Amino acid sequence: MSERSEQIGKRVGCAAIVAAAAVTLGLSIHHDVQFTASVTTPKWIAEQAVKLRQETCIYHAIRAQVPKGAAVYVISPDYRPTQRLSELSTLWAVPQANLADAQWRLSLVPAHGHCDGLALEVRRV
Amino acid sequence: MKALLMLAIGLGAAGIVPAAAVARRSPVVVFLAPLIGAGMAAVAAGIELGAGGSITADYIAVVVIVNLVVIAWWLTARRLAQRTAQPPATSTQAPRMSWVWASLTLVVVLGCLAVPLMALRAPMIGWDANSIWLTHAFMVYGGHHELLTGLQNVAYQFSNPDYPPLVPAVGALAFKVFGLGNLHLAAVMTILLSACALGVVGTGIATAGIGGRRPTRIAGVVAAGAICIAGFAVSGISEVEGYTDLLWAAAAVGAVIWGLVLPRSPQALGVAWISAAVASLTKNEGLTTALIILVLIAFRYRPISRREPMVRSWAERAGFVVLPALPGLAWAGLIRHIGVHDAFFKSAPAGAFKSASIETPLSRAGATIAAIGPHLAVAPVALAVLLAGCWFLRRDREHARLGNPAWLWIACLGSLATLLATYVIGDFEIHTWLATSVSRTTIFAQVVLYADIAIWMVIAADGAFTRADRQSSQRASSAGEQVPEAPEGPREPLSQR
Repeated sequence: MSERSEQIGKRVGCAAIVAAAAVTLGLSIHHDVQFTASVTTPKWIAEQAVKLRQETCIYHAIRAQVPKGAAVYVISPDYRPTQRLSELSTLWAVPQANLADAQWRLSLVPAHGHCDGLALEVRRV
Repeated sequence: MKALLMLAIGLGAAGIVPAAAVARRSPVVVFLAPLIGAGMAAVAAGIELGAGGSITADYIAVVVIVNLVVIAWWLTARRLAQRTAQPPATSTQAPRMSWVWASLTLVVVLGCLAVPLMALRAPMIGWDANSIWLTHAFMVYGGHHELLTGLQNVAYQFSNPDYPPLVPAVGALAFKVFGLGNLHLAAVMTILLSACALGVVGTGIATAGIGGRRPTRIAGVVAAGAICIAGFAVSGISEVEGYTDLLWAAAAVGAVIWGLVLPRSPQALGVAWISAAVASLTKNEGLTTALIILVLIAFRYRPISRREPMVRSWAERAGFVVLPALPGLAWAGLIRHIGVHDAFFKSAPAGAFKSASIETPLSRAGATIAAIGPHLAVAPVALAVLLAGCWFLRRDREHARLGNPAWLWIACLGSLATLLATYVIGDFEIHTWLATSVSRTTIFAQVVLYADIAIWMVIAADGAFTRADRQSSQRASSAGEQVPEAPEGPREPLSQR
């Protein structure tokens, strides 16, 4: 192979690498820009603000309705709120794995006017 | 704004001296300093768990000690250098950026990171961000007793109590400063740290092009910005919801770029070690991946040689691995010492997805490979770019003193092999486990392959202006020039072509 054709080959190879890299990285940038646009719409931001407000409301409800340091057992028909109550009880109450070890039972129930459609229900065991 | 203040002052100011001591005037200092601060917060959380105290007191103690040690080391090293008055060996110096290029790199990287960070306008806290990281941040915030009893409490088994403490420690520190009024603050801290880790990757890629012509430098800066956005792109929604997978993955990729790709130098080694330590303190997957990368770095910096005494060289290599991994390994040992074990291998938490009895290792492996595959769509492109790069640009890569690409690929494949083994040996029902995690556990492999493509792009931008490999080597040997040494490290993949 002549020097000239080898040189042309290398330039073509470099161009191919730069093109492949530019397209690959460009596509991922395009994907991220689209995704960021989808999670910065006023509607999405408002929805997330409601969720955070609900979580904060439950966090404060636990501190208002449950004695500090109490052994609590969390149970709800839905798995997700059950776990969320254990998480938000941290630093205030002590979640128990068994009902027999707990003094209080915490649940989340649907309610109007409380934490955006949810209310904390506290019952003595 | 509060999170940015915490990042810049609470973490960045605490880590700026060690960062400047390691990376000197490189723009990576801006991103490395908060990561060092976060690493010190993780060490403080380990002390809080093992010895007592509160996160604030322990953090201040760690920051003061680390900064004093670094200042003492800096002064001693400077005096020794002045006394011996030997010119520094140029071959061990990291490529230096002029302030113009350093500023341009910073502006572009920060500008690009601002694009995905716009998602912070929506106050999202994801599932794991609540279940694991916010819960653990509360525990760390509460002090020694709260942390110890919380991690040992079986009611919290869903939160993976054995996970490393970097993210909870940073969240707890932010709550200590700004109060518990805004729960989203901890998630924002995680996202900003992820951005910093990507900044380390980006500045590393820009550094790869700094020794070249102007088009190469421009390509390096463009690639640096692109990789920052690509990192968030592959992570999807989880990373703007406060998940930590991008943080450990980007930190591990930073360790790969600085430790296995950039020319060997004390500065690059220091940045790689810090990045690996951050990965190991963020998540269990980060610890295993960091160990793989650190072993590879040890062999790159201390290659096997018959001339050196065997015991000494292996002791040095062991030091190269253990020293940066020590905080992560210490946490893993401490957490087992207090009776907390990994939920994936011991027993699944109550209510979670237990392994089905009909599953065999083969069926689990098949399901895992089928699930991982779609997330590695970038792999064929990366492989094609690797082959083309090795064919056309091998000598350009050697001229730039960049590491053999095999190092990066071994790190990637090693991480994937560990991931596969975890899914095969683990105790959870495989399909549910994969559905809920595989998009996040493959982030490291994806980002490291994007980074490899970006590095080849920088080399190609330079190589397009140089002569073909064979011609340049012939010219060099006929002119009596010394042909640059072959890239260090594993030579088989390149020499076999």
